[in-house]
This record gives sequence, structure tokens and C-alpha cells, in this order.
Amino acid sequence: MKRFFGMSLTLALLVGFLVLLSAGFYWAAAGLGWGFNALSISFGWNPPGTVSTAAVSYGAAVGNLLTLMMVVLMISGSMLTVAERKWSALLQNRIGANRITVGGNPLGGIPYLLADALKMLTKEAAAPDVRNRLLFELAPVLAFAPVFCLFAIVPVGPAVDLGNFFGVAAAGKSVSLQVAQIDAGLLYLFAIASLSVYGTSLAGWASNNKLALLGGVRAASQMISYEVSMGVSLVGTMMAYRTLRLEEMVVAQGAPVLGGFPALGLLLQPIGFLIFFTSGFAETKRAPFDLPEGESEIVGYFIEYSGMKFGMMFLAEFLEIAVFAGVITAIFLGGWHPLVFEETLRQNLQPIWFAAVCGGAFLVKMILLMWLQLVIRWLLPRFRYDQVQKLCWKILLPASLVNVFVTGAAILIDPSLQLLAWIGLGTIIVIGVLVGASGRQAAATDGHAAHGAAHAGGH
Amino acid sequence: MAYQLDNRPLDLRERFYFPEVIRGIGTLAGHFLRNLFFSRDANPDILARPRGLGYSDNVTLQYPEEKAPYPPGYRGLHRLVPREDGSPRCVACYMCATACPAQCIYIEAAEVPGDPIEKYPAKFVIDELRCVVCGFCVEACPKDAIRMDTGEHAPPSLERVHQLLDEKALLRGPAVSYLSDPWLRRPAPSIPAEALAAMTASARPYPDASDEYAQTPGFSVKALAAEARERAERAGTP
Repeated sequence: MKRFFGMSLTLALLVGFLVLLSAGFYWAAAGLGWGFNALSISFGWNPPGTVSTAAVSYGAAVGNLLTLMMVVLMISGSMLTVAERKWSALLQNRIGANRITVGGNPLGGIPYLLADALKMLTKEAAAPDVRNRLLFELAPVLAFAPVFCLFAIVPVGPAVDLGNFFGVAAAGKSVSLQVAQIDAGLLYLFAIASLSVYGTSLAGWASNNKLALLGGVRAASQMISYEVSMGVSLVGTMMAYRTLRLEEMVVAQGAPVLGGFPALGLLLQPIGFLIFFTSGFAETKRAPFDLPEGESEIVGYFIEYSGMKFGMMFLAEFLEIAVFAGVITAIFLGGWHPLVFEETLRQNLQPIWFAAVCGGAFLVKMILLMWLQLVIRWLLPRFRYDQVQKLCWKILLPASLVNVFVTGAAILIDPSLQLLAWIGLGTIIVIGVLVGASGRQAAATDGHAAHGAAHAGGH
Repeated sequence: MAYQLDNRPLDLRERFYFPEVIRGIGTLAGHFLRNLFFSRDANPDILARPRGLGYSDNVTLQYPEEKAPYPPGYRGLHRLVPREDGSPRCVACYMCATACPAQCIYIEAAEVPGDPIEKYPAKFVIDELRCVVCGFCVEACPKDAIRMDTGEHAPPSLERVHQLLDEKALLRGPAVSYLSDPWLRRPAPSIPAEALAAMTASARPYPDASDEYAQTPGFSVKALAAEARERAERAGTP
């Protein structure tokens, strides 16, 4: 019972901390935007007393770069290395890493982060003589950088008028928790996501090792395959929300449909969600899609890497989880919409604090999705290679194409998205029934079990 | 415990794959939440830990801090059983050293000063590295002077010589006396009279079942026979 209350308190405090954190992020973005504006005035680029949109958005982007990408992304990526151990332990009825303690308290395994970093940084960097030097050194960067860049378009919080931070003088310009608001939106996502295949395949090639090459080739073919279904699975969402920009998609998901229920991507596009989730999971190259690594058969594309170069590849995988969780939250789970008590909160809270609550809601959803990805990683065994390709080309791709046509037809018939929502609801109910229907009877009666035991003993 | 798996092919719903994956997520989430919100029971008897809602599913034993007790009858480190006066019961008859298949027991006998009959082990060394823990020495001993009832396994050491246990290290544990002990039946000059009286008072007629070395749980011939009979009966009926 003590642990129950302690854990509940910890989780509540975590949510509160996330809200405070996003409030801090807003202040950082607004402060830097305001500061850059002041700088541009002092340089004489803008007349005094004006507020330049360019200066504010540039400053806010720098602020968000520092807060969202350096703080949120890096910390969630590195915390996931701890979570991988601790959560997997909880899933498997173990305790997990608890031998490094601070004052006798293992602190949930978090001190292991320090130990890991120390180990990675101080390890000998042994590299094969026969490597292709340039590509070998470049590959970890190529694996790491695209993943990192992806987070730029993820909208963590809504736009807030700058006037709320610095009085009426600054009114009319807004800052939001998003590094880059670009028109290409999802296209940028696809473009950059497909770049990360270079890192893995070049690592495999440049190591001059058969196993690494095998891993690199597997990674390349798997990631290129799943790019296709990943792209097509989001076409339905693009059509439903009529935009490529993630921040507009999130706003559109707040609109009521089906009797006031918000038009979440999950409701409108359940099939698209499943396909995107699966394809994205394959892109992260983790179990059950971890053939490029396959540590029990080939060690994988990073077999020749050691020390922090390996650490970069390792961390890139975890960053990919975090980014992917952020993207799914934005596209399918209503982004920063808190979904519960949203109107009450909007009316009773100051705009900054409402935005902070929204940012906290986004981070909570993101953490839940990261958790879900880790659960699936520990749930399923590795697919066989033909199963991976079959799943992509024979199941996910046709399904996503059908999804596109059905979505298109539904929007053509009823542009208000009602029909699409009904179809989505029907799909969710069908999936729920399929999940809930008990297939297999509980194995055998008592007599059978005893008989089996006797046989096992006899053999 | 063995149980039979129903290994029939997948039905249509299971071949959809996704529903079963979602179910699996549900199962794992249940374990996760129970283990997250409820604390681990530290009972070393893991099967006796409470299960179900409100309890952690955790089965871990935090080894160096928590140890599962060895079962009674576990053959641990040897000890030389002392008499009440602290001297070993051992009469240096070499039976154990003779019985030992690993030849890990080394004994040097000496005569008890002032006693024309009795011997004692001037040296009694067991090499725990050579010992195969068969327990033959315990069986061979006519005086119940060597036992393996300490419940400890051989401790790790950095040097081989630390695994050589001599009579000083071996002589420990509770003292034992039997009425049939010759030094009680025949007034021994080496033992003072009052000590002899105390030993006689605490002596037992014969080793009883409360001596752990005397019983081997899980190895009862009667129980094994009953089990075999039951198994045969079950195999006979379809």
C-alpha cells in the first residue's frame, strides 16, 4: 500500500512537473523571441517600437531548438535507455537495475544513465583496419542526425499570443512549442525519415565485415519497404484534415464530430493508425523488426563500432522511439489537446497556463506511446525475414491503399467528416470484438492435466 | 510442474495476428501495472508469495541480501561434532577417510594422554575443493562424529589453501552425546568426573529424527513406491 500511494504521488508529481516544464519552455521561447526582437531593433534592422514577426519567430525557434530538441528529445532518448531495463523488468516480473544507489536509494535505475555515459565515453574505440575510414566515421552521424531533425516539426504546444508574456506592446505575434512551422510538414517527415537508412547501410558497408554488411542490407531493404506503407497510411489523414502541417492537423483534431467527441486521428483513421504504427515500428529497427540487429544471428550493422560511436547508433534508436511517439501523438492522438475538461481549462486558466497544460498533455501522451512501443518490443519475438517483407507488401500496403480509397470516398460523400467518423467507429468496434472474442478454450480439465503430468514424468 | 500444451493450429481470428497482439499488450500491461504499483513480497519461499490483484507478480530474490534457505538434509560444509567438553567425538578410526571416493580427508591419529584405549585426531583436514559432497563420510562414521548439517556451501576464496579446513575450523556446532558412547560407559581417565556426569545427563539413547543428518526429505522409499504405483495406475486408465 505504501508503494501504491508513493507511485500514485510520483505519477501525479510527474504530470505536474511536465506542465511546469512546458510553462518554462513557453517562457524560454517567448523570452528569446522578445530578445531577438530587441536585438534586431538595437542593430537598426527594425524601427524602434515595432515587433518583427521574423525576429520573434526566429528567436522562438532557437528557444524551442534548445528546449524541445536538446531537453525533451535528448532526455527522453537517454531516459529510454534506463526505461528499457526498468520497464522490461516490470513487464517480466523482475526488479531491474537497482545496484547503483544514491544514499541507499536506487532512484528507479536513473543513476545507471551516468554509469552508461561514463562507460561509453571512456571505452576504447577499436576500429577495423580495413574499414572505409570516411564512411565509417560518418555513419553514426548519419544515423543520429536525421532522427534528431525530425522532431523539428512536432508541435508540442499551441500558439500563444506574445502579448500574454510581455504586455500589449508585444500583442499580435505568437509563439508555440514547435521548432519549425513549415508548409511541407509531413513531406519533410518522410524525406528526413528516409535519410536515416543511409546511416545504417553505410555503417554496414564501411565496416568491411560480412555480418555488418548483412545487417546493413537487411536494414536498407526493410526500411525502404516500410517507407512505402508509412507514406500511404498517412494519405487518409492528410485528406481528412486537408493539410500537411502538423500544427494544423492538431488544431483540426479539436473540432467536434460525432456528438461533440473530438475528431481524433485515431477515430477517423484507425486503420491508418495501425499501419503507421507498424511501419514506424519497423523504421525504428527494434523487435519484432530487429532483423538488421538480430544479435543472436548476426550482430548487426554496428558490429564493428565501439565506444561512443556505437552509443550514437544506440541512442539514435531510442531517439527514434521518442520522435515517433511525438509524431503519432500529433497526428493520431489529438496532439496537445488535453481532451478532458478542455473547455473548462481554456476558460478558467490564463492563456499561458492553458498552453502549459496542453504542452504537459502532449508530453504525457508521448510518454504513454513510448511505453507502448517498449511493451510491444518486449512482447513479440523477432519475425522471420520473409514475414517482415510479406507483412509490408502483402498486408500493410494493400490495406493502406484500401484505406486511402475508403477515406476518399467517405470525404467525397460527406465533407463534414461525420461519415468517416462513423466508419472509423465501426472499425474500432470490429477490432474490439476481435480482440475481446475468446478464441481458445482454457487448455484442459484437471484429469487431462494430471495425465499429461504423469506422461511427462514417465518420459 | 509439467502441463500439456494444446498445440492445435491457429484459428481464423488468431491468424489476423493483430487482435492477439493487442491482447498480449493487455496481459503485459497488467503485469506492468501490478509490479509498478504494488511492492514485492520478500518471502524467500517464492511460491508462497501472495498473488492476484493488489500484489506484485515479482518473483525475484535479492540474492546477497536475501537467501533462500537450503532444505533440511542439504549436504553443506562438514563439521566435526563436539562432545559437551568441546573435544571432538572423532576417535580417529579412519573410516571416513577410507570411504571417501575423492580422498579428500587426511587424518593423523594420536593417543589421548593418560588413557590406554582412546585415540583422537591430532590432524583432521578436509580439502573442500576435492570433496564431491557425496556424504559417504557421514554414512561411514561409527561415532556420529562428522556431519554435513551446517547448511552452508563452501565459501568462495581467493587462495586454494583457504579451502583446506583443519580440525580447528571443522570443530563447531551443537554438541552431541549418546548413552552408547564408550567414554560414557567406561569411565575415561581423560574426562573429569563432574564433566562425565553432565555428559551422561544430556546423552540421548540413539540418534533421533530431529537430527537433520538423519533424515533426507524428498527421499522416502515408501513415498517413492507410492508415487510409482499411482503413476502406473494412471497410465493404465485412459
